[in-house]
Amino acid sequence: MKAIIILDQMQAGLGGKERADTPLGGQRVAMGSADTTEKALAKNDGELLGTFYCGTDYYAENRELVQRKFTKMAEKMGADVVVIGPTYDYPEFAQMACEVATAFQTQTKIPAIAAIAEEKNADLIAQYKDQLTIVRAPKKGGTGLSDAVDHLAEGAALLAKGEDLGAFKSSYCY
Amino acid sequence: MQKKFESVLMPVATKLGNNVVLRSLRDGFLIITPLIIVTSIFLLIGNFPIPGWENFWTGILGPHWMEWFSAVSNSVFSFTGILSTIGIGYAYGKNRGLEAIHAAIVALVSFLILTPTSFNVGKTAVSAVQTMYVGPNGIFLGIFIAIFSVEIYRFVVRRHWTIKMPDGVPPAVSQSFDALVPSAFVILAFFLVRVLFSLTSFETAYNFIYTMLQSPLKHVGNSLPSVLLYNFLASLLWCFGINGPTITNSVWSPIFFVLTQDNLKAFQNHLPLPHIYTQPFIDIFTTYGGGGSTLSLLIVMFAVCKSKRIRELGKLAILPGIFGINEPIIFGLPVVLNPIIAIPFITVPVLNTLISGLVMTAGWVPRTNGVLLPWTTPPIISGWLATGSWTASVLQLFELILGILIYYPFVKMLDKQYLGEEQAAAKKDLDIDFSEV
Repeated sequence: MKAIIILDQMQAGLGGKERADTPLGGQRVAMGSADTTEKALAKNDGELLGTFYCGTDYYAENRELVQRKFTKMAEKMGADVVVIGPTYDYPEFAQMACEVATAFQTQTKIPAIAAIAEEKNADLIAQYKDQLTIVRAPKKGGTGLSDAVDHLAEGAALLAKGEDLGAFKSSYCY
Repeated sequence: MQKKFESVLMPVATKLGNNVVLRSLRDGFLIITPLIIVTSIFLLIGNFPIPGWENFWTGILGPHWMEWFSAVSNSVFSFTGILSTIGIGYAYGKNRGLEAIHAAIVALVSFLILTPTSFNVGKTAVSAVQTMYVGPNGIFLGIFIAIFSVEIYRFVVRRHWTIKMPDGVPPAVSQSFDALVPSAFVILAFFLVRVLFSLTSFETAYNFIYTMLQSPLKHVGNSLPSVLLYNFLASLLWCFGINGPTITNSVWSPIFFVLTQDNLKAFQNHLPLPHIYTQPFIDIFTTYGGGGSTLSLLIVMFAVCKSKRIRELGKLAILPGIFGINEPIIFGLPVVLNPIIAIPFITVPVLNTLISGLVMTAGWVPRTNGVLLPWTTPPIISGWLATGSWTASVLQLFELILGILIYYPFVKMLDKQYLGEEQAAAKKDLDIDFSEV
């Protein structure tokens, strides 16, 4: 399984809220919190192709551009699955995660999986939970992060292999 | 190992973090914390740590200028017991799904019922409330009163023991009658408590709680092992992604709060400072730049690391880091779920706690005056303001450097790993060029 991780500027290790104007970009390594997810992916025979990042304000102003660039580049790099988050309870990143995941599902053959906290995002999750695979994750500073990352990687492996997600979704997703 | 740790820690952390009483204590203290910070500044101006400060202003403003400032600081520091009762009553009521303002008022009235309202001056009885009962020494009593009064209120509300008004009575009137029966139960309960205590040798609930609980707990909390455990747990939990201080504070915050208020009162009255292990001690002399003392970590990242990711993050995060904001590194380096960084992230704050505690016990650095500084106050300045002595700034600088030395080998390990990855990726271009698509 070859995976790409998508993060906002904070999770990618590119600064805090004040850097939300960071334009989209990417590196062929695990940036910031992707390091933890990469280790979990490796346990599921996963390989990381790279990290895509985008500041949340930049995304909000350039939705279509970012979605197009992310989907095209993931196709070009030959990704089997796209992993977004964990977004914790940051609402801007959670919004971006749902929209980007939708873009992957509608515009490409690459499946996408996201991990989002329920806090501050209840409406968003209600809106997207049926069409997307959204893993339950803790809020910032909440308990159960390690498990959430493991589930995220496990789900990504299932998606990449095209296996049935019924049991997985009912145990770990919204 | 990590999994095992997690399976033991998680349930405890979740339980503590979700416990409604502990959460309400924390939220209740948070309601009055801004007031303490603001009035602390007035106290600090009145007692600025520069020799000759008092005489200088007396020469300009006259002999009463100190009273102007202490009037403001007294408005909070002499009433912390009663303010805590209101804050915790409010928070507990809100967390229990009641009308929060009703809960706060019920708690306040219950507190007043148990407060002695007359005392003897010579042979005459004076009708007045002594600030002794409503200040720091009344905080623990206030906690109990707030929780129990609101709990009784809720008990009655949930059973719908209310007076039903006939249809056609305006809602404002019927709502006021809704609160009548629950309030009556609370007041009756506290009336009985007051009567019962007056029959014992304690005479008041205040005396009972103070001698049986507040005083012994203060003694246990105000010790080096207690604060070492506090900082160990707070840092350890962060390594698992759990906001450690919110968990540990739910246990320690009432104790730290009382200890801090004791020092403030003493500072205001120019008496020797009674305690070492106060909230400012924790905030100002154990971690620099946020949990894990990450300012030391940032300096290492900024100054000696070679990998692009670490150096860039160090550059971006150093300015917020000086002011105690470390979210970008906690999640961006990352600290959470990162076993390499976990070791210094736990060791440095614990070691700082140990050194600061010993140095203050030896008297090389004076104790904290209890003034709560805004949490963004950078180290070196914060040490001086919190103790009035430059030796405190030296202690902070020493610990900051010690932290750098401890973080160094671990960050270098991470740096090497990242650098290797980057060099491997650089052969096929590290950066992904999005202009290609």
